[in-house]
Amino acid sequence: MESPATIEPRALEHGDLLAHDAVPAALISMRDIWKTYEMGEEPLHALRGVSFDVQRGEYLAIIGPSGSGKSTLMNLIGCLDTPSQGRYWINGKLVSEMDDDELAHIRNKEIGFVFQTFNLLARATALHNVELPLIYAGISSADRHERAKNALSSVELSDRMMHRPNELSGGQRQRVAIARALVNHPSLLLADEPTGALDSHTSIEIMNLFERLHAEGNTIIVVTHEPDIASRAHRVIAIRDGQIEKDEKIR
Amino acid sequence: MKFIETLKLAAAAIWAHKLRSALTLLGMIIGVAAVVVVVSLIQGFNNYIDEKIANIGAKSYTIGRFGFDDFKDLDAIAAAQRRNKELDFDDYEFLRTRLTLTDKLGAGGRPSTAQIKRGSETIDDVPVDGTMAIVGDIQKVDVEDGRYFLDIEDNSAARVAYVGADVANKLFPSSSAVGGEIDINGLSYRVIGVATAKGTVFGIPQDNFVTLPLRTYRQNFGPLVRQRSFYIVGTAKDDKHFDDAVDEARQLMRIRRGLKAGEKDNFGIFTPDLITGLRDQLFGVIYIVAVVVPGIALVVGGIVVMNIMLVSVTERTKEIGIRKALGARRKDILKQFLVEAVVLSAIGGATGVLIAWLLGRIVTAVLIPTYLSVWAVVIAVSVSGGIGIAAGIFPAWKASSLDPIEALRAD
Repeated sequence: MESPATIEPRALEHGDLLAHDAVPAALISMRDIWKTYEMGEEPLHALRGVSFDVQRGEYLAIIGPSGSGKSTLMNLIGCLDTPSQGRYWINGKLVSEMDDDELAHIRNKEIGFVFQTFNLLARATALHNVELPLIYAGISSADRHERAKNALSSVELSDRMMHRPNELSGGQRQRVAIARALVNHPSLLLADEPTGALDSHTSIEIMNLFERLHAEGNTIIVVTHEPDIASRAHRVIAIRDGQIEKDEKIR
Repeated sequence: MKFIETLKLAAAAIWAHKLRSALTLLGMIIGVAAVVVVVSLIQGFNNYIDEKIANIGAKSYTIGRFGFDDFKDLDAIAAAQRRNKELDFDDYEFLRTRLTLTDKLGAGGRPSTAQIKRGSETIDDVPVDGTMAIVGDIQKVDVEDGRYFLDIEDNSAARVAYVGADVANKLFPSSSAVGGEIDINGLSYRVIGVATAKGTVFGIPQDNFVTLPLRTYRQNFGPLVRQRSFYIVGTAKDDKHFDDAVDEARQLMRIRRGLKAGEKDNFGIFTPDLITGLRDQLFGVIYIVAVVVPGIALVVGGIVVMNIMLVSVTERTKEIGIRKALGARRKDILKQFLVEAVVLSAIGGATGVLIAWLLGRIVTAVLIPTYLSVWAVVIAVSVSGGIGIAAGIFPAWKASSLDPIEALRAD
């Protein structure tokens, strides 16, 4: 064991929050986030000191070219990964210090994911796919059915509940995924290139749905490289070389 | 996540790959079925023997010229031939007047074969033996018709015969044998009783015999030595103290023979325990072989299950990623795959038991009764479940430690 004498207090760094003002009011609060991958000799800094807040009810787009650190940032926001350095709060909870199981719990409660490739379970019906987050939330089977049905009808898929993903069109699949994302009433809807696998007509349909969900009070973050999609948001953060290049309100 | 959900998930995953699951379980099914069948067969065989031994009569001990040990090898046989004297009526009287723990004591002579005739009917090589009247009581003989001997018939060496069912049926096809005359080795005997048919034990017919009063046997067949060797048979006053009664008889015989402490018995005592003990010894070996060999099949079956679970985890990496993204914790994923392996194996175990049960029914119908041993079933199913855990734990752990980001990237 190390002797106590060898432990020295760390100097206060920029971005550190003191204990008494620790919990920020914003829904998402990132402070000096670094993500470093050890690859061979040279460490790769995917994110270099990113800080920003997202308020409840915001509609935010994160844009950037591939390799900009945008995907890394999305994984961090989605609590799929933890930063190498810095602090991240979501809904007042400090997730940057959490272990795998605590992160799983946060993903389940606070975040609704919408992926580019939908990521539905191929063998399961639309209804079962939407129920999935509720299963891990420990909701009883009757409640689950009820809530999943409601979520599906809110995306106008009441008549497709017993269909499997391969019996649905791309737009319908994405709407199932959105229903799944919403079913747990998360604090944040996090979409990663949500229209990347859809034709332009269906893309517009999905983006209109996002607009409606925003109008209903949901907080939405869309990660994309398409300016068209980003322009639907009310605020755009542009990432380049692991840093925030631009953060502007556009509406 | 609730256990019932995990169970449903496992069932769905197994059902989704019906053929693969069935093929995976083949080894397990064969292993379990083999274990259960073999155990059931041995159990059936044991019960069969116990039943037949119980049928042979009440619990009794038999003192004869040779003991079980005397047949160990040729030297032992030769030594016993020199050392062990034949028993006789004096030995019987000696024991009868001194034994305190023995209830009934009788004596008999071992059978020799003879030709039996009645009119034109002849049966060759029928075992004929002689016993005291009390032996009928000791062996609890089952009289179908007529009666066993009386003491007076023994004492007067009366020419009466107690015959097995086969002998009676053969010589008296259309009438009752009781009261009829038969011819044994040229002498005429009156049939006084017919035994209830017993069928066969291990293919040896039990109903082809003639028993005469002991003194009649000695008078007409010759001295009670060698193949007609004299033996004494007794029952305990109390079956709980059967071993004490046997021991008393043995000690008295040693005194009678003047044996010193440490000297080997020069006579033999057989008890039912000796026979069942011998059987257990024999079956012990069969048991081990019969359980170890299918046990290997079970282990191989377990390895196959582990392999298929590893394949399953790799195939379903994306699914694991999705589940994790949606909030599945490590233990949820671990449980999902572990339960799947256990359910898969348990289905194999249950199928094996079912097949064993069917085979058992077939064997019962055509050969000997078998008993589906509850223990065999419990052990087979728990072993296969255990193998499921052992085979599932590594793949399940592998699945649970997947990184969600990488798992989502898989196709």
